[in-house]
Amino acid sequence: MRLVQHSIIGYDFTMNRIHFLRPIGGLMAWAAVLMSGCDAPVEQYPPNAVHALVVHHRTDLPTEAAAQEVTQLIDQWFGTPLEPHWPAELLSGQAAKGLVDQDRLLRAPGSFYSDQDNLHYGLYTEHCVRCHGVNGGGNGAASALQNPYPRDFRAGIFKWKSTQRSARPTKDDLRRLMVHGAPGTSMPSFSRLSDDDLDVLVDYVIYLSVRGELERWLLYGAVEEIGYGDEPVEDPFRFGLVSIDNATGDRASEAALYAAEHLKRIVDQWGQSAEVAVPGASSDPASGSSVDADSVARGKELFHGQVANCAGCHGVDGVGGVNIVDYDDWSKEYSTRLGITPTDRQALEPFEALGALRPRLALPRELAGGYAHGGADAVTLYRRITQGIAGTPMPAVMLSETPSATALTPDQVWDLVHYVESLLETK
Amino acid sequence: MTQTEVETTTTDEATGAAALGSAWQAPASDSAASGALARSKWLHVFSVLAVCLVWPLIWVGGMVTTMDAGMAVPDWPGTYGYNLFLYPLSTWVSGPFDLFIEHGHRLLASVVGMVAIVMFAVAIKGEPRRWVIALSGLVLAMVIGQGVLGGVRVLLSDRSSAMIHGCVGPIVFVLCCLCASVTRRSWWDRKGFDGQSNPPQGVGKLALGFAIAFLCFAYLQLVLGAQVRHVQPLTSTKMFTHLVVTHVAVAAGLLAAAPVLLTLTRRCGDLTLSRLGVGLIMFVTLQVLLGVSTWVVKYGWPEILSSLPLGEGYLVKSKGFFESMVVTAHVAVGSLILANAALIVMQCYRQNWLAAGDQSVQRSPSGVAPETA
Ligand code: HEC
Ligand code: HEC
Ligand code: HEM
Ligand code: HEM
Repeated sequence: MRLVQHSIIGYDFTMNRIHFLRPIGGLMAWAAVLMSGCDAPVEQYPPNAVHALVVHHRTDLPTEAAAQEVTQLIDQWFGTPLEPHWPAELLSGQAAKGLVDQDRLLRAPGSFYSDQDNLHYGLYTEHCVRCHGVNGGGNGAASALQNPYPRDFRAGIFKWKSTQRSARPTKDDLRRLMVHGAPGTSMPSFSRLSDDDLDVLVDYVIYLSVRGELERWLLYGAVEEIGYGDEPVEDPFRFGLVSIDNATGDRASEAALYAAEHLKRIVDQWGQSAEVAVPGASSDPASGSSVDADSVARGKELFHGQVANCAGCHGVDGVGGVNIVDYDDWSKEYSTRLGITPTDRQALEPFEALGALRPRLALPRELAGGYAHGGADAVTLYRRITQGIAGTPMPAVMLSETPSATALTPDQVWDLVHYVESLLETK
Repeated sequence: MTQTEVETTTTDEATGAAALGSAWQAPASDSAASGALARSKWLHVFSVLAVCLVWPLIWVGGMVTTMDAGMAVPDWPGTYGYNLFLYPLSTWVSGPFDLFIEHGHRLLASVVGMVAIVMFAVAIKGEPRRWVIALSGLVLAMVIGQGVLGGVRVLLSDRSSAMIHGCVGPIVFVLCCLCASVTRRSWWDRKGFDGQSNPPQGVGKLALGFAIAFLCFAYLQLVLGAQVRHVQPLTSTKMFTHLVVTHVAVAAGLLAAAPVLLTLTRRCGDLTLSRLGVGLIMFVTLQVLLGVSTWVVKYGWPEILSSLPLGEGYLVKSKGFFESMVVTAHVAVGSLILANAALIVMQCYRQNWLAAGDQSVQRSPSGVAPETA
């Protein structure tokens, strides 16, 4: 009997034998502390604090009161991530009213889930927010580790589109970008999404862009034009008192009219984007036939020539290696345009504290053996060359009907296109 | 035998060691006793089954997270009002992929739950070692807890609990592996020094401490990974960047530490430990490759690697099949590393225990413990 008992104990490590589990327990407790309380649903769009600081630097005036009032107005008109709203009431014309579909809008922000019919909700939260951020500011959680940075929709500047440089993209442009992604950047291809879901996201990008652009205009306008100081201004000019109901008609205050006018202008830019397509881009003379070697040779000459001087940035034969220190428009806004050197960490610190990303060099693409981020077909390249790339240092070439010392003819641009095509890798 | 006596054996104090030494020798010298006290074969069978089910379960769960399908079924414990097991097969299989994997994850988890119940029952019935019974009980408790946590995640639609669920899942897997390991025949049969071959050697404090530290850092790494994975909409860029940098730094640390751990633990000459150590090196190496690949398929070719021509023009494909598999493999191999490290720690303890027992045997002239002599 005694033997048996010993045997049991003999094989019995007793619990202290598994005390190596204790560190795991400790770590779990630690992990629980780390993880608790960080999942409150997003109830408010974060205000554009960086822009408020930019306006402050530009005007040397206090912006706090203005920022607060503008946020109130924007929230009134555009709702919250829990209940986004397209202010169709304030717009005239079917195109503007229907630019963003209210029902689609509701499927973009908020927590994500799907139902038995595979209808997805919270699409923007599921797919985009970690890069583009809740308010489309391009400074989502994962943004700082990417080059180029994800787009800040709020400036209304877009690179990869079929429209003229300063124009907004069309809905088709946005959709095409989402389906194809931007190879060479972290912008993914969302080709797995249904057409319906893509429509939702297209509308939501436009919504965020309009919302963000209005916010920016009003911030600047409030301080520079309406005269907000340390205190909000008197009633008819107060943004904070404007709601969606008292923004039109007889009861509309000065502030409401001011804001509505900006809203209308911004929305119209989106609505009319299809009308400002790049002229002449639809007629590649070589389309259908194979590109002839002469055209490529002429293009090569132009590439290195005085007028276009592509080689000045993209290097001889497009191999890069040119040392150009320049930044994109998004980061210039809070650096060079305020007289701040983009590498001056100390001067940038207040901006970074509010969520601005550290300025990164906007390097010209290595074209030889490289990849186009925004599409490499001839028509797209024609647009890039005649418009440049919005938001970046890449300039547009001047066009004229006859060859001149400062401009290229459309045929010469096509030659350039064919040369660039011969450089680029295609996938 | 009191708790304190056992405690002292780890510090190799003569009395405690002698007491234990006598104990482990007993069954070997008494065939009748060892026959009555056979390890529970069935517990081993079901533990192995659990291991073979939980790892795929982690894959499926990881797939649920990778596809953001966590909320494809909004209710719990039912599925769209149906009892979990009665949800129509046709709707499940032909329905959206998100629903397919989320419901599949639940079904597989229930199977694991049942296996865990059987494990515990079998252990109570046939397993002579109390601590092994306790271990199987712990497995059951953790499986239930994990299931409830999964349900809470769904009911609250809460991503923090999804993260905790993701951090506890691997622990369930580790416990199943431990249970399967200690019920192996080789574990049971190896009773230290038989008086003929070389006496077993302990692994030493340094090796043991190193193994424990490795285990802790492997888990820390998993928690960090879970934070990166379950990034919240309002997580700041600074926080995310810190998490990623720390995750990569700890990865480098683990990669460097794995061979050191092997060197330290193999000194004792135990083959099991050496094998586990080699396995760990392979898993960690694989994991680092998978980690880099995970970054690439989710965030594109990183700038640090821009000198490699491979990635130029790389296109991130959201939720592509291959991409999802890479990411999910990174999650699943994380659990393997954790389990592997835990087995090493346990094997170290066991080795020390065997060695401690052995010393007492050597002290007794006959090579057999006093009581049984
Ligand atoms: C992994 C990070 C990431 C995710 C996720 C992501 N994006 Fe992007 N996105 C980027 C980056 C980086 C750019 C900038 C590309 C460039 O500058 O060439 C970008 C650019 C854009 C642009 C601007 C393109 C232009 O013409 O300037 C739009 C619109 C856009 N993304 C929409 C989305 C939408 C909608 C989603 C979700 C369905 C999404 N993105 C998800 C990283 C991401
Ligand atoms: C001032 C410098 C500069 C000059 C001059 C310049 N580029 Fe660029 N180019 C850039 C920069 C910067 C980019 C990268 C834009 C971005 O951020 O994606 C670029 C990008 C491109 C791209 C890639 C577009 C894509 O989809 O990724 C092409 C093609 C291109 N340039 C062609 C040309 C051609 C042809 C010329 C001559 C007509 C030219 N560039 C002149 C700076 C320049
Ligand atoms: C023993 C049982 C279970 C184990 C071991 C387990 C394990 C896991 C693992 C490893 C993940 C992946 C986490 C990640 O990749 O970060 C996961 C995800 C998930 N599991 Fe489980 N699970 C179990 C039971 C359940 C049950 C019963 C439910 C019931 C609803 C459930 C619901 C979920 C959901 C919704 C997710 C996705 C979480 C997200 O959205 O990120 N799990 N599970
Ligand atoms: C020893 C090495 C490593 C281990 C053990 C490890 C472990 C893990 C684990 C377990 C997860 C998932 C957590 C969860 O269950 O939710 C994870 C996520 C992640 N890991 Fe690692 N990792 C290692 C190395 C790396 C490396 C070198 C990188 C490279 C950048 C990396 C990048 C990532 C990323 C990006 C995620 C998030 C995946 C997602 O968003 O879905 N890991 N890691």
